[in-house]
Amino acid sequence: MSTNAYGEDKRAGESFRRNWDDDTYEKKAQDREQKTRTEEEDEERRRKGLKPRVRNSEAKPERKELLQAHKHAINLEGMVGKTQVVQASVAASGQPGFYCKVCDVTVKDSMSYLDHINGRNHQRMLNRSMKVAAETIDDVLAKLEDLRKAKQRHNMASADYNFHEQVKLQQQIDQEKKLKRKEARRRHQEARAQAETTDETKSDAMELVLGISSFGSTKK
Amino acid sequence: MANRTVATAQSIHGTNPQYLIEKAYRQRIYDSLYWKEHCFGLTVTGVMEKAVDLNSIGGCYGANRKPTEFMCLMLKMLQLQPDRQMIDALLDQTDFKYLRALAALYFRLTQPPKDVYSRLEPLYRDYRKLRMRTSDGPFELTHVDEFVDSLLRENFVCYITLPLLTKRIALEDAGALPPRISPLDDEYESSSSDSES
Repeated sequence: MSTNAYGEDKRAGESFRRNWDDDTYEKKAQDREQKTRTEEEDEERRRKGLKPRVRNSEAKPERKELLQAHKHAINLEGMVGKTQVVQASVAASGQPGFYCKVCDVTVKDSMSYLDHINGRNHQRMLNRSMKVAAETIDDVLAKLEDLRKAKQRHNMASADYNFHEQVKLQQQIDQEKKLKRKEARRRHQEARAQAETTDETKSDAMELVLGISSFGSTKK
Repeated sequence: MANRTVATAQSIHGTNPQYLIEKAYRQRIYDSLYWKEHCFGLTVTGVMEKAVDLNSIGGCYGANRKPTEFMCLMLKMLQLQPDRQMIDALLDQTDFKYLRALAALYFRLTQPPKDVYSRLEPLYRDYRKLRMRTSDGPFELTHVDEFVDSLLRENFVCYITLPLLTKRIALEDAGALPPRISPLDDEYESSSSDSES
């Protein structure tokens, strides 16, 4: 309480004056000072080429999920033997290599791609922490039970194995395959026949312009 | 990150548990396809699932010293450090022999000698066949009890230098272990009594 020379409360006789809440404004002033101080520091560091200082007051975002194993097999050989038209653009999705949709990044190499998928940045994009779930003995025992049951089911299934049925089944499968192959061959031949007819129309246009109907030798 | 030992792990034989496998070999496992594809983000139950699908044991093979899947899962277990109860459960189960072999090797690497002898000697009664990958490449036939015997007697198994194990006689003399009763003792007695009669 601020008192004047006469020991009276200074504010008592000034009820007509405007009063401010000291605490809120003090806090505001402190925050502003803190902010300018950190900004100055970060500015200096940026000038020197360093990253801004990590401060405890800034909350770290909590990762929702724990690290998980890859559920689906990673397809590294899907594009082997295939031809891809590559855009000359800068976009990562058009580049040759392994494209990661989550991070919009193309990696040239399968090992580097795996390293990327297993790496911190990618997991961060998926909002996952790099820590694995801690497990207890109960989880282990439950898992053992599941594995035992799965094994039993597998054994039971093979106990129903009937040789003659399997032979009939295999014969059916082979027949179907043969039919499919014939169909495919027929279709292929038809397509080739059609292509030849269209080629002839193409060569008419070529003959008009160039004077030749086709490339390649006419010698037999 | 993915290759770091779990934060709650305790040091084994004075070091980071992963260092029980030597640096060069450890690096080969980290760089292998199986480790990156299948061993990423595994928990103990995940390791169990993969171990059940194993079809061979072994260290590394080929001119390239390619690590086996068995070794990758071994390193994963060292990284996760399952507690004693879990390992006991995996050792006691008899349904999956490769999982048992994995648990036996883990036990030998991490537990004190007294426990090693008392817990691994019962596995001498497991006569099932195991497929072992030799360092040249082809597979060899071995058995669970042969494998356990190599763990208890040899220094270098599956391309790992095993931690020193005090001789059983020394432990018996110190009174830490009872003298060994071989499962063949009964047979020996009955056969000697037959020969007498």
